[in-house]
Amino acid sequence: MLDVVYILATLAFFALMLAYVRACEKLGDEGTGEEDRP
Amino acid sequence: MTTSGWLQIIVFSLAVLAVTKPVGVYLVRVYDGSARWLAPVERVIYRLCGIDPAEDQHWTRYAASLLVFSAVSMLVTYVALRLQAHLPLNPFARAAVPDRQAFETAASFTTNTNWQSYSGETVMSYLSQMMQLAFHNFTSAAAGVAAAVALARGIARRSGGRLGSFWADLVRGTLYVFLPGSLVLALLFVQQGVIQNFHPYATATTLEGARQVLAMGPVASQEAIKQLGTNGGGFFNANAAHPFENPTPWTNFLSMLAIFVIPAGLTYMFGRMVKNQKHGWALWAAMFVLFLAGVTTAYWAEARGNPIHAARGVDIVASATNPGGNMEGKEVRFGIAGSALYATVTTDASCGAVNSMHDSFTPLGGLVPLVNIQLGELIFGGVGSGLYGMLVMAILTVFIAGLMVGRTPEYLGKKIQSREVRMAMLYVLIFPAVILLFTAASAVLPAGLKGLNNGGPHGLSEILYAFSSVTGNNGSAFAGLTGTTYYYNTLLGLGTLLGRFAMMVPMLALAGFLGERRIVPASAGTFPVTTPLFVVLLIGVILIVGALTFFPALSLGPVVEHLLMHAGRVF
Repeated sequence: MLDVVYILATLAFFALMLAYVRACEKLGDEGTGEEDRP
Repeated sequence: MTTSGWLQIIVFSLAVLAVTKPVGVYLVRVYDGSARWLAPVERVIYRLCGIDPAEDQHWTRYAASLLVFSAVSMLVTYVALRLQAHLPLNPFARAAVPDRQAFETAASFTTNTNWQSYSGETVMSYLSQMMQLAFHNFTSAAAGVAAAVALARGIARRSGGRLGSFWADLVRGTLYVFLPGSLVLALLFVQQGVIQNFHPYATATTLEGARQVLAMGPVASQEAIKQLGTNGGGFFNANAAHPFENPTPWTNFLSMLAIFVIPAGLTYMFGRMVKNQKHGWALWAAMFVLFLAGVTTAYWAEARGNPIHAARGVDIVASATNPGGNMEGKEVRFGIAGSALYATVTTDASCGAVNSMHDSFTPLGGLVPLVNIQLGELIFGGVGSGLYGMLVMAILTVFIAGLMVGRTPEYLGKKIQSREVRMAMLYVLIFPAVILLFTAASAVLPAGLKGLNNGGPHGLSEILYAFSSVTGNNGSAFAGLTGTTYYYNTLLGLGTLLGRFAMMVPMLALAGFLGERRIVPASAGTFPVTTPLFVVLLIGVILIVGALTFFPALSLGPVVEHLLMHAGRVF
């Protein structure tokens, strides 16, 4: 039973980290200098 | 303190200096793709795995690749540890690793931490040691270097936030750096007497007539990557204090050099990549000054010994027949200098291998490994993580210098603006937040206090050290804390994951943002990053950030314990 909990918790952690990548990207977009905007 | 002790430190320092350039030059060739001597093997791996080595991944894709690889490999390890009893190479019929320990171990090895709440010789099968744990020893190290190379690329070029291929960096690091390096080191270890076999455990009769079981196993091969990859997880519970892992002064020296060799070489590689070799050496110098300060303090504190021992009639003065000082928890084969040097090296880097018990150091001697970890393990540091940790600090340093003179800060031709500073600050703040929150919770919750073997400030140091060690991905233990509970296994495992990935993501974002910036030529307002002033300012920033965040906790732990020791109290 706890195996399922640990496996799901691991998956949830890494899913959260992938969302964190998106959040950092968004934070970066807000602070882009005009001259460097792609 | 003795002449031979100082000689050990001096010879070791010179050896680190000597290997920096050749290793750095080789690392440049590995990561720019010009090292080709294993090209046929490399091509087969790329074909089998469907990797396009020429792919230039955007930082978000680079980070996602790293996360997906880590998640899959961690889950495979978890399942394999749980199924250990049904898998081959298990001559002693080891049972499944308990769920909480399997989670912690899988997280710990995936993150290059290698915190161990188990004794390898009584819990792990040979298959678990060789396939699961050793696999992570190689790949977590290669992933760390890949992340550092990605940051270096972001600084070195204007690439629209593209950082290269994570998969190619992972393969090349493993194939060209860690596998050949470990092979050579393992052979040297075997020559010195480190065991490498699949024999059943041997039984011996001691001089007193007692029966003793001697654990066997493929130790040398594990030992080599454990040091070279700054992993630190021991084959045996006693780690590098075990005579089968670390039998001679020569293996002790080689082990320490192996811990520093790649992190030191990476500073040279970085200088070459950004076409500013002097800056690479400036980073090296900052790391070296901090290393020297740590080892000198630890050696002084341990050689000085414990005044309570002296008051009870123990001779703590060094002589031809007496090492003097505080020998509690130390191997007589390595003595005080060998133990203080090893403890400093292993915590400067994110290695965590130990040849003495840090819990038995004097309060100030034990403070050194703790502070080394809490500074962010950037004093040469873990493979890759040391360099990128130091680069984040360098960026903060030029930012602060820019504020002082009222100019837009630049770092190696890249302007540092709000989004870069946001990512740098996320990187800097997550680390103490995880350590201090988890430590505070454990210092008040019954589940946290139940694991303590010592009270008072020493008990707090044990908890603080444990969470610093896992969040810093070091893995060394202060000892004295019973971590084999659901509470500690789960929380420490989570600490390793947060300390690795919650810091790596903003660092890769920083790399991507810098990669989007154009390179501006140096002007009169550019703060030079090759001068002694830069080195001093960089060290100052590192110490101030560390001091501001951790001093209150340290003052309640080792600092007050030191003062109470001189008042005649021990814990």
